[in-house]
Amino acid sequence: MAALCRGRHRWKKTNCLYVPTRNLTGKYDYDLVVIGGGSGGLACSKEAQFGQKVAVLDYVDPTVKGTKWGLGGTCVNVGCIPKKLIHQAALFGTALKDAKKYGWQISEPVCHDWATMMEGVQNHVRSLNWGHRVQLQDKKVKYLNFKGSLVDEHTVKGLTKAGKETILTAKNIVIVTGGRPKYPTNIPGAVEHGITSDDMFWLKKSPGKTLVVGASYVALECAGFLTGIGLDTTVMVRSIALRGFDQQMAGLVTDYMETYGTKFAWKCVPKRVDKLSSGALQVTWTDTQTGGEHQDTYDSVLWAVGRAPETKALGLDKLGVKLNQETGKIVLATDESTSVPNIYALGDIGEGRPELTPTAIKAGKLLARRLAGQSAELMNYDNVPTTVFTPLEYGCVGLSEEEAEKRHGKDNIEVYHAFYKPLEFTVAERDASQCYIKVVCKRFGDQTILGLHFTGPNAGEVMQGFAMGFQCGATYSHLSQTVGIHPTCAEEVVKVNITKHSGLDATVTGC
Amino acid sequence: TQHNTRGLPQGRQPENRKHAVIGFLLTLPFPVRPTHTPTSFLVMAVFTQHGSIRRNMASDRAASQATRFDFLVIGGGSGGLAGARRASELGAATAVIESHKLGGTCVNVGCVPKKVMWNAAVHAEYLHDHSDYGFDTGNVRFSWETLKAKRDAYVSHLNRIYRNNLDKAKIQTIQGHARFTNDPEPTVEVDGRKYTAPHILIATGGLPSVLSDAEIPGANLGITSDGFFELETLPKRTVIVGAGYIAVEMAGILSTLGSKTSLIIRQTGVLRNFDSLISANCTKELQNTGIDLWKNSQVKSVCKSEKGLEVTIVTKDPEKKNDEEKTSTIQEVDCLLWAIGRQPNISGLNIGGVDTDERGHIIVDEFQNTSRPGIYAVGDVCGKALLTPVAIAAGRKLAHRLFEGKKDSKLDYSCIPTVVFSHPPIGTVGLTEEEAIKSRGKENVKIYKTSFTPMYHAITSRKSQCIMKLVCVGKEEKVVGLHMQGLGCDEMLQGFSVAIKMGATKADFDKTIAIHPTSSEEFVTMR
Repeated sequence: MAALCRGRHRWKKTNCLYVPTRNLTGKYDYDLVVIGGGSGGLACSKEAQFGQKVAVLDYVDPTVKGTKWGLGGTCVNVGCIPKKLIHQAALFGTALKDAKKYGWQISEPVCHDWATMMEGVQNHVRSLNWGHRVQLQDKKVKYLNFKGSLVDEHTVKGLTKAGKETILTAKNIVIVTGGRPKYPTNIPGAVEHGITSDDMFWLKKSPGKTLVVGASYVALECAGFLTGIGLDTTVMVRSIALRGFDQQMAGLVTDYMETYGTKFAWKCVPKRVDKLSSGALQVTWTDTQTGGEHQDTYDSVLWAVGRAPETKALGLDKLGVKLNQETGKIVLATDESTSVPNIYALGDIGEGRPELTPTAIKAGKLLARRLAGQSAELMNYDNVPTTVFTPLEYGCVGLSEEEAEKRHGKDNIEVYHAFYKPLEFTVAERDASQCYIKVVCKRFGDQTILGLHFTGPNAGEVMQGFAMGFQCGATYSHLSQTVGIHPTCAEEVVKVNITKHSGLDATVTGC
Repeated sequence: TQHNTRGLPQGRQPENRKHAVIGFLLTLPFPVRPTHTPTSFLVMAVFTQHGSIRRNMASDRAASQATRFDFLVIGGGSGGLAGARRASELGAATAVIESHKLGGTCVNVGCVPKKVMWNAAVHAEYLHDHSDYGFDTGNVRFSWETLKAKRDAYVSHLNRIYRNNLDKAKIQTIQGHARFTNDPEPTVEVDGRKYTAPHILIATGGLPSVLSDAEIPGANLGITSDGFFELETLPKRTVIVGAGYIAVEMAGILSTLGSKTSLIIRQTGVLRNFDSLISANCTKELQNTGIDLWKNSQVKSVCKSEKGLEVTIVTKDPEKKNDEEKTSTIQEVDCLLWAIGRQPNISGLNIGGVDTDERGHIIVDEFQNTSRPGIYAVGDVCGKALLTPVAIAAGRKLAHRLFEGKKDSKLDYSCIPTVVFSHPPIGTVGLTEEEAIKSRGKENVKIYKTSFTPMYHAITSRKSQCIMKLVCVGKEEKVVGLHMQGLGCDEMLQGFSVAIKMGATKADFDKTIAIHPTSSEEFVTMR
């Protein structure tokens, strides 16, 4: 998938070992029907070669605001890809300020044009949509722009936009329909006047002054890039930010955002949204600490209050596919099988699965190989690294400090940490108070690393290699025995030597 | 990322003599720390503003002339300072002799100011891309003067930090040039005073190589990387000679910041000791970014005219035997920069009793021992892996061996990651494909490669590729080399180098979950 999200020249490389030894599947139309053409579904259907007949169904229900998009799912259209590109644009907002310190004389004021940026972003997304189509064709995977639902454990019903029905039978069915952002339907005006991240990346006009409700990574990333391109942005947080992530790191991320210009309404819950005659949206909220009620007006209200699995149209209940009552996600075994034979699911729709593109891709490929009898390898969902592309990026792998304490006991973990200053911040006179590294290790024995956390520029690029070291079972001494690369931010990770237990100042000085 | 120190005469006087004065005022007795050597004397410590020193009060006349320490370090650069501080932490009475500014090459004329310049150049590249990302920046001008002032201020700040660190560690700083005496016990002399210690570390680093006017007429009209950091204005027209990483970095910085830059190389590619993929790609990228590359060329002479330097170059393609040698001249050059290599900084040190190689590098064993007992060397002066973190690590390991009794403490010189701050940057660790084939045989080497346009460039009109290569050996496909050039490669390498040092195989790469969307994820999704 990653490969897919790059330049167009990559498509050419994919017509590899397709041997047309297709033995027809006898009583079924297909060996494999995949419902959902997102990261996981595409990876699964493309991997399912080995002489198999495969179809993938993809259909995008427009959002409440009418936004729709092409093949590729959340990541390509309304997630990772447009998000990272706009994040990059926002980093330029900071880079412009830095550039002045680096001797560049730039005439003020510098304006950002939303339409120019979005044209570039959307063109790229469309090229990826097209790339996926071409790849499916190359791999002889039948692409059907149908909305799929289950009839029985071997039968899928496809519905076209025009309402035409097609019945497909398959030996195996994989459900990879992902998830969509939720609306808080109990808040008056929320649905009518608010948007979600599904709309954000296809807005023709700048969202203007924006209220982002929620404090998940989606909320913080959106608020971060809106601030970065110069928009007045407020994040409304009910309880804590980045739930599930290390909370010290989460604090650094939001602290940085506050100094960066993002406003935060902590411990507040929205009550209603009204559209004024001027067109502005008036939001009323309650401060849960004081009980007081407040109001302000915004051009846009973005709900980032969580994502819901896209199960409603699938007819899962009829077949008895077991769902988690609380989350509505499909309950899966380690081999991605559901409670119904021949029906599998993976990606964001799977209960307990990380909502991340690379895990869906990998799980999809492995499932395809297993279904084709090519391998018995299961997906390993441990050691999944991730990066939050907030203005100050945060990358991590393994356990948070809290989780490590919970599992191993506070006295049995050693936390090495460092506050470091990226060299690029020095001349730019930027505050580096939130640039921090934390390596959570077992305290005794060989000090195996339990979790690794990094805030700073290029966190995603920094973290990947360390995630691999982590995967290989790295210990603290593996880090300290590795020679640093000077001067980089990543070298600070192998240089950490102050423990939290010592109580010493963890600020890095000198080279 | 080179490192050296300046423990030796360079014709420059220290600008700040304030700290150079060693006070001998006997103020209060200082508790004597345990000595770790058999040659212990009854000592009396004196306490000065900048740390403690011990004076030998024994009756031996010859020795009494010398101030005695446990550990004497010649050269206050990366390796020397790291070794000195670690030794001091371990209880050794330590002194550092430095003739110039603290911090050595890295801080003053290497890694740090170089990367500041590279960062400035990266901004220049960003400015090209701003409009694609929606920012209208209009007219932009660059002020080298502003940048240089900031850079100098930052370097001075680091010099002060190093000074404070030494003071805090109670390490004596001796300002001046060190010269070994002919005393039977290893002893050095600085400004007429003698100093000795059972353990003396040479960490004097290196210097840019220069050519004499006899070798190339007018050669001394040019500068080196040291001079680059003294330039007060952005040269309009630059000629850089050399194909190593310093030449590549300097050419990239100057060209990107707006100097019309020519790079003169003797053969057909730069970075010829890197993996061939990197060498070829970097050569291509230099040309793509507008550097005027002269292959198969050498400078024949340089002369000065009213409008600047005239650099005369001869070009001859060895493949085309029948072609005539071509002579050309680049006119109006205001910066000629020699980046033809570095040499050990040992002149004036009088290290007669210590073996050196034919180029003057001090020969050390794996424990940094020189041929003379009690004398050690780390860093660029040894000519191996000229990198700051290598010198630092070697200096610290040595301190642990000498003052903590850790007999096996030594630096493992395998799998040292390095980054070249070219445009885009290069990252490399381990063996090149060519080295792997040579040592393991072609049949045992498997290569994985990829190239792509980083997502950053998805919406920019300026493009650059990212290339990646894994060199694997044996049935288990152990990864012995990783090479890459592209946006972000500078920050990508460190983590992978941990895994490779741990002995990672291709299967370990495959097992690792990607971080999306990044460029580095391509390493774990490679087929």
